[in-house]
Amino acid sequence: MASVDISGVKKSYGAVAVMHGVDVAIGDGEFVILVGPSGCGKSTLLRMVAGLETVTGGQIAIDGRRVNELEPKDRDIAMVFQNYALYPQMTVAQNMGFALELAGRSKAEIKAEVDKAAEILSLTALLDRKPGQLSGGQRQRVAMGRAIVRHPKVFLFDEPLSNLDAKLRVKMRAEIKALHQRLKSTIIYVTHDQIEAMTMADKIVVMNAGRVEQIGTPLELYDNPANLFVATFMGSPAMNILPAVTQAGAVLVAGVATLPIVVSVPPGTKIAYGIRPDEITIDPESPVKAEVVVVEPTGSETHITARLAGHEITLISKARVALAPGDQIGLSFSPNKHHLFDDATGRRLEASGGMAA
Amino acid sequence: MTLFSQAFRRVGSAKVDPVLVALWISLILLALIWITPFVFIVFTALKSNATVMGASAFMPPTELAFENFAAAWRRGNFSTTAFNGVVITVIKVPLGLFISAMAAYALAKVPMRMNKALFALFLFGTMLPFQVMLAPIFRQVNAFGLINTYPGIILPYLAFGIPYQVFILYGFFSAVPKELSEAARIDGASHFTIFRRIFLPISLPVLSALLILDFVATWNEFAMALVILQDPKMWTLPLGLMSFQSQFSSDYGELNAAIIMTVLPAALVYLMFQRYFVAGLTSGAVKE
Ligand SMILES: Nc1ncnc2c1ncn2[C@@H]1O[C@H](COP(=O)(O)OP(=O)(O)OP(=O)(O)O)[C@@H](O)[C@H]1O
Ligand SMILES: [Mg+2]
Repeated sequence: MASVDISGVKKSYGAVAVMHGVDVAIGDGEFVILVGPSGCGKSTLLRMVAGLETVTGGQIAIDGRRVNELEPKDRDIAMVFQNYALYPQMTVAQNMGFALELAGRSKAEIKAEVDKAAEILSLTALLDRKPGQLSGGQRQRVAMGRAIVRHPKVFLFDEPLSNLDAKLRVKMRAEIKALHQRLKSTIIYVTHDQIEAMTMADKIVVMNAGRVEQIGTPLELYDNPANLFVATFMGSPAMNILPAVTQAGAVLVAGVATLPIVVSVPPGTKIAYGIRPDEITIDPESPVKAEVVVVEPTGSETHITARLAGHEITLISKARVALAPGDQIGLSFSPNKHHLFDDATGRRLEASGGMAA
Repeated sequence: MTLFSQAFRRVGSAKVDPVLVALWISLILLALIWITPFVFIVFTALKSNATVMGASAFMPPTELAFENFAAAWRRGNFSTTAFNGVVITVIKVPLGLFISAMAAYALAKVPMRMNKALFALFLFGTMLPFQVMLAPIFRQVNAFGLINTYPGIILPYLAFGIPYQVFILYGFFSAVPKELSEAARIDGASHFTIFRRIFLPISLPVLSALLILDFVATWNEFAMALVILQDPKMWTLPLGLMSFQSQFSSDYGELNAAIIMTVLPAALVYLMFQRYFVAGLTSGAVKE
């Protein structure tokens, strides 16, 4: 258990800079998830914390101690890889005990630790098997067991669930969360699946193109995205973004819907108006009309894509709807559920008064 | 019977597949062509010289002339040549493989500035036919005063054997996912531990294939040995075979007995290590 301080960390491969100064402060026992689109540098950051990549600039400290120059084994971390990276010729027990063996611990000690970890992960019956004789989910658990036996200060996970099928992923998600509650260890976890991030994290770090866009609890990010990138990245289906123009005491959205919103910017300014799909409702009375493009029933709810004044928007209807492409529907936007962003910088307009609740 | 009839059908099919039948026929023909010289050698080795000259080569021997082997052993000086062959092969083959594996690991997995250039150098080594190098090698070995010594033959063998082994092992090691060595690094393993505990075990099939090839090549090597080992006391088995051919009166029975005794160890090594080779290919997939 330990804190991890990442301050001003930069990374370049030769002349190519891929990380442009990242600051993340991770408290003792926190479950932190790094999310972001492919290629944004999540794995690179994690591997720098692990010591598998050199740090070009800035500092990484674990428990207040600078670790930039330390070998991975001296950082007191454990890592679970996306492809598990189990040693194929060793049994499950040998895989899990390898680190302890290299640390020169006695056979009895190793066996005790391995048995304990196997117990936690229900691997006891599989200890004598080779990785080739295990299912994907079991291999995943062995990889976690290999990390657990070392009692590291920090656990690092790089997309550990992305090779599993959807059902197993949900199960392992719960197991990892339970494990965190049990071990109370610091975890840094990389994923590009924002559902995984929302459900597991104490704190989410949203990254984009080698920069941190926003850090916060899952609900903070969902309710108060700091900018357009975070707004559209978190949440599925993604938030609708429509062009808007401010007026005196109102905002004209997409040129067709005038909404009574008080804004801090002068009238006539172009801004971006965002609203989540579940905050748009079908309202036959509404003067704002849209044309249905696609109807996707998911069972519990229905996702509808519609065209509003030339802009595609998505809405979620909790009720079953009998709609076909081409139908005209009236839309109403929940008041006070909007997000306004500066058109040029993409930054959230704070004084927009929307999120008073 | 079911096994036999199944051989001509596709998996799960009831019809005889003509392509499979043709493949089987060519396989059997090919096997016959390959086995013919061996049959010839074994038959001849067991005949007295008079029978060899008198009867057809493919007539099975009527009375077995085992004394051919004893005579060949004495005449070819096998006690000396076999000993030399064993010393040279048992030192050269494992040592060469070990050096090659370490070099290949370093080239494939240890980040260094010169990796590419060094690998190119090894590649260049695979392109040199050693026959054209015989004269310079002789002068070199002679300059070191190593003519007629074990190091004098083992060192050139290593020099010509290592590049192609490095080439093959480099390809194999490069294909091992980098996360495997990274996981081991986090677990606290040094490069040498990673090499010994992870890479050597998983490359066992490749290593045993290389060992078989290298054993056979070293055991049977003739040209370099002829140049460097001039003292009959230092001869290896293929050089020993010369004494059967250079005689005016050829005794084919003895010659073939000598050939059998020469190739037998190589065949035995093959049979011993091909088990690992086949087992290795399926390791992880099935219980060992
Ligand atoms: N060895 C390397 N040499 C050069 N560029 C690299 C190297 N490794 C990664 N990069 C670059 O660094 C950037 C970040 O890569 P990284 O693997 O961290 O992305 P990621 O966020 O983990 O993406 P993904 O979700 O696809 O795993 C990418 O643009 C990638 O091209
Ligand atoms: Mg990645």
